[in-house]
Amino acid sequence: MSTARSMMYGLTLLVLTLFPIPRNAAAETVCIQCHTAQTGRGLKPVKPWQESIHAENGISCHHCHGGDAADAANAMDPARGFLGAPKETAIPDFCGRCHIGIKSDYLKSAHGHALGKGGPTCVTCHGSHGIKKAALELINEKTCTQCHSFERARVIRTAMEQTEHSLTTLTKRLDAFKAKGVDTDALEKRLFAERNRYHTLFHEVNTAKVKAESGLIAGELDKLKTALDKIDEKFKKRKMAGAAAVGAALLAAVLFHLLRKTYS
Amino acid sequence: MSIPEKIYRWLDVRIGVGELAEKELTGYHLPVTINVWYSLGSVLLFSLALQVVTGILLLVYYVPDADKAFASVTAIMNDVPFGWLIRMCHAVGSNMMVAVLLLHMFSVLFMGSYKRPRELSWLSGFILLNMVMGISLTGYLLPWSQLSFWATTVATNSAGAIPLIGDELVQFLRGGRLVGPYTLGRFFALHVAVIPLGIALLVGVHLFLLKRIGISAPPSGQKDSRVRWKGDSYRYEEHPGGIPFYPNYVVQDMSSICFYLALFLLVVFFDPYIFFPKDAFIPANPFQTPAHIKPEWYFLPNYQTLKIFPSEFMGLMAQGLAMTFLALLPFVDRNPERHPLKRPLFLACAIGGILLWIGLMIWGHYS
Repeated sequence: MSTARSMMYGLTLLVLTLFPIPRNAAAETVCIQCHTAQTGRGLKPVKPWQESIHAENGISCHHCHGGDAADAANAMDPARGFLGAPKETAIPDFCGRCHIGIKSDYLKSAHGHALGKGGPTCVTCHGSHGIKKAALELINEKTCTQCHSFERARVIRTAMEQTEHSLTTLTKRLDAFKAKGVDTDALEKRLFAERNRYHTLFHEVNTAKVKAESGLIAGELDKLKTALDKIDEKFKKRKMAGAAAVGAALLAAVLFHLLRKTYS
Repeated sequence: MSIPEKIYRWLDVRIGVGELAEKELTGYHLPVTINVWYSLGSVLLFSLALQVVTGILLLVYYVPDADKAFASVTAIMNDVPFGWLIRMCHAVGSNMMVAVLLLHMFSVLFMGSYKRPRELSWLSGFILLNMVMGISLTGYLLPWSQLSFWATTVATNSAGAIPLIGDELVQFLRGGRLVGPYTLGRFFALHVAVIPLGIALLVGVHLFLLKRIGISAPPSGQKDSRVRWKGDSYRYEEHPGGIPFYPNYVVQDMSSICFYLALFLLVVFFDPYIFFPKDAFIPANPFQTPAHIKPEWYFLPNYQTLKIFPSEFMGLMAQGLAMTFLALLPFVDRNPERHPLKRPLFLACAIGGILLWIGLMIWGHYS
């Protein structure tokens, strides 16, 4: 085998490694069949992808890299829409085909401004195949210090922690109410809007703006909390009324029983 | 003469209410040894009345349309004043009515009250049990939740195991190949019109038989607990020297009803969600099958039976045989003895059967 041919083969394998395979549809795509049979770099993306948020949501290899996931022979044919792996500067556009708003947030930020000048891209923080969900944990010393000190990032993370905690608590409370038949639709929409607003801060590196925006979100979340407290109060009142009704019925039962005894 | 007295007098001279009250209430004598189990019938009538009242109130706001049913139930729960209470009472009431009905049946079974001449009483009661389970099953679909949709899909699927007519039967039940708007339409009609009429008719027959044959005395506390009726001619079972129905036993009925009500309200106000899994509050989605759809607790033994037999048809056959045996029990068990302790074979079979039923229910729940 000539060196050029070996290189082409290696390149093909490398490109193939960029095909993450959905967990649920793993058996159906040729991507997973081929990559799981490989060793080394070819196999490398499979496991991280299987543990990724993309796999959890059914996002498969071809959703990002294009190609024909049902035809092994033509899976990587550009005529079938195969895109391969993007260049570093093309990564935001590559991910931004789906994550449109996030791409916009990123490009407006200092991180986006540094694209192609040593600045981070989507995969720097979120990973390339083992895609991690946008969460506070992504702002950590290990990741951030790849490019700069953690000092400012720490300030941002601290400002966002309270919001994250409130969002998690409110989500749990809403889920609990929903499981009791409470119509949480409007409240869920409000929470969804605030969560999205909070998520836009993940690509913001201006500490003052993050602090101010976090304060505004906290205010909205407080209003939501008040609405949920009112529902809680309603449930408590129902239980008090219920206790009185149960007590009255029990008392009546005992009185009738005693009356029955007098007839014996 | 006071106004109530005038009204009484007016009615008495026309329809003889005094004589009627004397005959049906104060003059209607029950056995001296009558026990609390006999009041379960009145508890059942009370719970049935509660279902009718709450059902009618729900009908005011419920929309039997697949596109609107879930939203209408959500509105009942959240927007209609006391709608949540009415819905919870109706849903919890259906479960508790089945429980009381089973207790009533067990008491009749153990006291041997199903024996001749009360075969028809047992049979009408047994059909009533099936109709109550039928009305519960049809009512389960109406909220059009994930639970409703998939539980009905599973339940109607079972009919497909019947050879030759299975597929046609499933389509007939569903009004199409899959559970859909037509299924909701026919289940709604069955739930609010057909089955309630059948239940009303059978309750009437059951009470008529009770009045015509007379109430049976409990076997305990009697020297001779065997059936005395010889089968030669009609005889009303009288209880000379017994206690009057009114006021003596009416207060016992009231005591039992109030106790039941206390228990019922306890569940309604404090944990009605034992009857509402999470999927009960998610709108039906034919394209998303929930992970663990289980029927109501009283259908769990049937559900598990279908799973343990090698084929669904065999499971259905086993259930059919068991139900036929139960329905015809008074004709099979000809032993005149009514006292359970003097019927060891019966006692062993009955307790074994109940334990098997409970075991299948628990197995079905955790399977």
